[in-house]
Amino acid sequence: MITILSDNTRQEAGEKLEQKLRERKIEMELIDITDLHVDPCYSCGGCTNKTYGQCIHRDDADTILPKLMRTDVLVMVTPVKWGSYSFKTKRIFDKCAVIGDRHYYSKNGELVKGKIGRVHTLVAVGVKEEWLDEEKRAFKNLVEENIRIMNIRGRVYLADDSNIGDCLETAAEGLSK
Amino acid sequence: MKKAVIINLSPRKVGTSMMLANRCWEFLLSRDYRVEILHLYPNLKDLSPLFAAINEAESIIMVGPCYINTYPADTVYLLEELEKNQDILHGQCLYAVIQGGMPYVHTHESGLKMMELFARENGLCYNGGFVVGMGAMLNGQPLSKLINGKSTEKKFDRFLENVAKQEDSPATLYHEAQLKMPGLVYCIMAKIMNRKIEKERREKQGDSKKSPYDNHGLDLYHSKKDRTIDC
Repeated sequence: MITILSDNTRQEAGEKLEQKLRERKIEMELIDITDLHVDPCYSCGGCTNKTYGQCIHRDDADTILPKLMRTDVLVMVTPVKWGSYSFKTKRIFDKCAVIGDRHYYSKNGELVKGKIGRVHTLVAVGVKEEWLDEEKRAFKNLVEENIRIMNIRGRVYLADDSNIGDCLETAAEGLSK
Repeated sequence: MKKAVIINLSPRKVGTSMMLANRCWEFLLSRDYRVEILHLYPNLKDLSPLFAAINEAESIIMVGPCYINTYPADTVYLLEELEKNQDILHGQCLYAVIQGGMPYVHTHESGLKMMELFARENGLCYNGGFVVGMGAMLNGQPLSKLINGKSTEKKFDRFLENVAKQEDSPATLYHEAQLKMPGLVYCIMAKIMNRKIEKERREKQGDSKKSPYDNHGLDLYHSKKDRTIDC
């Protein structure tokens, strides 16, 4: 199962990618997060001390997190600001910590953590009208660190006005494998 | 007298980010700065107190935790709102401090890069940052309690000296402070921490290993604002 979380602020890449995957008859769900209300993680410790494994605050993350418990591939389609995920995407990603594996593992001589939910592959599609090379590197590094710390597989795609068609085609091709 | 503002980007008012913010505050006071610490989260609905302080300051020091390899979402929000208020950005010096659980610099460094790119786009003068590993373990205790406490304190104070002088602070400072251990030590650390995690889970959750989010129709126990979960 593939779940696409798309912050559609100033971009339509999420819908286009959904279209491409549908053409390939791939089982997936697109969740438009643009208008969802997800509160910050307040680092209150409630998910450890009050309701183990569950956030004590009720918001729209309650509809997303159960889906991530059943999805194998998480695709995040996000506008990129200063080499980072968008505010809305990051609010959800921050909350994902509550369904993250709390254990530590050792890989290549370093400590790593585990998966969020049952997600074994993270694909990030960063969207900008135009990229600076340095920002490309920054976003790529960030996603690679995410993949590394969760000890999973993944890819990062950098879409802009000039390459969006080809970029999403390659992403859809990769996801269909 | 020089003016600086320290922004606490952590939702917590006590914790490692605040410990670092306080150390920074004391240091700058001792260098004859007029300096204050402001918290982001209580001001999320109205950022004007932060904007006013940023407008008046010559140096801005952002201090916050690392959530999944960079600052929390609300830091992005703050930067976006600052960008919309260009009149308060007039070439101030920007410094960034990020602290997170993992002992490695690379895990947290993306946060500093975001600040650097933000500064460049908005005419601020990014003068460097500092990464503190094992911040979660510290949980607000002083830096000296870290395994590499002495070295981290020394390097962090050298970073603060650069902040006080409004000079560039090189990345080599926090790279040198990073804890360096053989892989086997991390393997043992993982085993010890996992035992603690399992003990805590058994105490809090009982025998069920299932995540509450695994349940269809999750039991939401907050009665007033309950929403129906469709899953």
